[in-house]
Amino acid sequence: MHGPAALQLTSDGRLKHLLTTEGLPVSLITELLDTAETFLSSQGQPVKKVPLLRGKTVVNLFFENSTRTRTTFDIAAHRLSADVVTLDIRTSSTSKGETLFDTLKNLEAMQVDLFVVRHSAGGAPFFIADRVTPKIAVINAGDGTHAHPTQALLDLMTIRKHKGDPAQLSVAIVGDLKHSRVARSLIHGLRGMGCPDIRAIGPGTLLPDDLPQLGVHAFNRIEDGLNNVDVVVLLRLQKERMTSALLPSEREFFNLYGMTELRLAKANNNAIVMHPGPINRGVEIDNRVADGAQAVILDQVTNGIAIRMAVMAMTISTQQELKS
Amino acid sequence: MSLVLINIQVIAPDCPLHQATSVGINQGVFVDPTSLIGADVFDGQGAFLIAGLIDLRVNLREPGLEHKGTIASETRAAIHGGVTTVVATPNTDPVVDSPADVRLILERAKTSGLCRVLPTAMLTQGGKGNHLSEMAALIDAGCVALAQGNQPFGSRKIEFNALKYAQSLGIRIILDPESQDFAGGCAHSGQFGIGLGLSLNSPLCEILGLGSDLDLVEATGVNAHFSRLTTKTAVVRLREAKAKGLNVSCDVSLAHLIYSESAISSLDPNFHLERPLRTEVDRQALIDGVKDGTIDVIVSDHSPHETGAKLAPFPETETGMSLIEGVLHLLIQLDQSGDLPFECSLKAMSSHAARLIDRDDLGQIIYGHPADCVLFNPSKSTTFKEPNWTSAGSNSPLFGKTLPGAIIAAWIDGQEVTI
Repeated sequence: MHGPAALQLTSDGRLKHLLTTEGLPVSLITELLDTAETFLSSQGQPVKKVPLLRGKTVVNLFFENSTRTRTTFDIAAHRLSADVVTLDIRTSSTSKGETLFDTLKNLEAMQVDLFVVRHSAGGAPFFIADRVTPKIAVINAGDGTHAHPTQALLDLMTIRKHKGDPAQLSVAIVGDLKHSRVARSLIHGLRGMGCPDIRAIGPGTLLPDDLPQLGVHAFNRIEDGLNNVDVVVLLRLQKERMTSALLPSEREFFNLYGMTELRLAKANNNAIVMHPGPINRGVEIDNRVADGAQAVILDQVTNGIAIRMAVMAMTISTQQELKS
Repeated sequence: MSLVLINIQVIAPDCPLHQATSVGINQGVFVDPTSLIGADVFDGQGAFLIAGLIDLRVNLREPGLEHKGTIASETRAAIHGGVTTVVATPNTDPVVDSPADVRLILERAKTSGLCRVLPTAMLTQGGKGNHLSEMAALIDAGCVALAQGNQPFGSRKIEFNALKYAQSLGIRIILDPESQDFAGGCAHSGQFGIGLGLSLNSPLCEILGLGSDLDLVEATGVNAHFSRLTTKTAVVRLREAKAKGLNVSCDVSLAHLIYSESAISSLDPNFHLERPLRTEVDRQALIDGVKDGTIDVIVSDHSPHETGAKLAPFPETETGMSLIEGVLHLLIQLDQSGDLPFECSLKAMSSHAARLIDRDDLGQIIYGHPADCVLFNPSKSTTFKEPNWTSAGSNSPLFGKTLPGAIIAAWIDGQEVTI
């Protein structure tokens, strides 16, 4: 067997699933970002739809709650003219005792073309792509604390658009990296694009132990970590971090790590501030920064649709070539 | 029946018959071959003869979990792996906690088992950790030790009472060191588990559990066996405990001697184990522990499953691998890879294991001892695949693999077992 990074590529390096940004070649990342940018230019048109996936069926399999990501995948598939089915797993056959394996085998028999999968277990999309339905494209929309590759790609797209080539930039990620699939995927993506300076900022309880292996510099004091960075990525802080005794309170987190104008001044002039959303004002970010000129948070959302269109188009096209 | 095995090489470290080239079997025991006249002759053609291996941790699944394995299927698999004695865990459904359960297993083993089956039972009723089992009756029924399986005690106070009571009756107990505060997680909290976004199990789970278990063992004086150590720190602690004179022994699973955390990088659910695979440093420390005798025995922790149990995303699969079928072959592989000399691992799975279940008559090739032995060719190999696979569980990293060693024949009480 092989891991997610190997399984998502064909033997000649084309993308047949998107499971992780780990090991994704820079050429492929660049191709996805370029494709997304062409879609982005079509999004300002009165008719936003393109007929690339006409006649194709996309199934959203969300085993975990999501409103924002699911909506952007929905919109992306519709704009490519695909037929979209969203399966609410809690009311489907898995709650009647049917296994995930059998549920997916049934969907496969219905001749669908792409699964968008969100699951609380790390590796679930890999399991589907590897052992259940290898001939159907699988896009990971977030699995446990493992990966959220489309979020990372839209972040890379936003960074490239506003600040240029990541290979010339310093990027700081602030907050709960330990439980964040967004941070992990972004780190792999940034490394893939040659980013020379990736920093993690947070208290010891919220930083993962493998930062040195990832080539990421850890900072417990935000003032040290933000020095001269070009990009600041804030992460959402979940309330359960307080109940599991990893943090005393949201107030203390904001006092130590909240992004204020004063702290942002430590970064380079015109540094951008990103957040995967939804933001907690007064916890991760101060109102004035959230609504200020350096925040590009809503632009990330727009880019998210274009990126998901690019990933869907590319994976379905590779699978189609493999079949023929 | 009398039999003389000729043209063989006996591998029995510490036994007078080590490197003998022939051995006799008469009325179920090893005898001097020159004393036998007119016996059948078995030409080993240069093959190696060892005492049948003893596996102190095997999940036979029967009764109650026959969809995963049966005494018939798993004892046959044991013979294929060179194992002639298995110590069955009490982790059946329901768990083994009454003399009737013990007798049922012994009866089933007698009618359908191919190798010796020695049961263990739960220290507490239902394995729930709250009320003590009828320990004396369980031992009388045929248990070789009592364990808490993979279930926690209700409290450290109850654990203390169980250990104290067992000590007063001279009963050996088996403990799985684990701190409930750190329990759970499907992968070691190292770079592979973190990188794959899996739920994590910290080494502190074992280390903190072992620390308080050792304190209770010291306080009660019970004869305790610690099962499935996984960390370097645990090996160090056991070494210290033995040096201090505590009445303790321990084992390591074969999987932890062969694989480390990197094995999970492909998310192969066969590597989802109850005790996660840890770092390469830990693996080396476990090997060193076997070499210097800190770790007394090696176990297979054989855990067969039906196909569906492993057909899910890694964290959602059931734990354990089916391994007993390749035990002898894996010991040879460990020798050939330079990790662990065969004589060392052989002792860990024969004479040392026999001592821990008070069966000094097993695990050695000595005249007058029960003739449990295995003849194998170390220079041939075995490919593990259908239709030769015998365990009911195909949840094994061995499946489809070729390993060194080919078993020619096995005898239990001098009777050849058809394999």
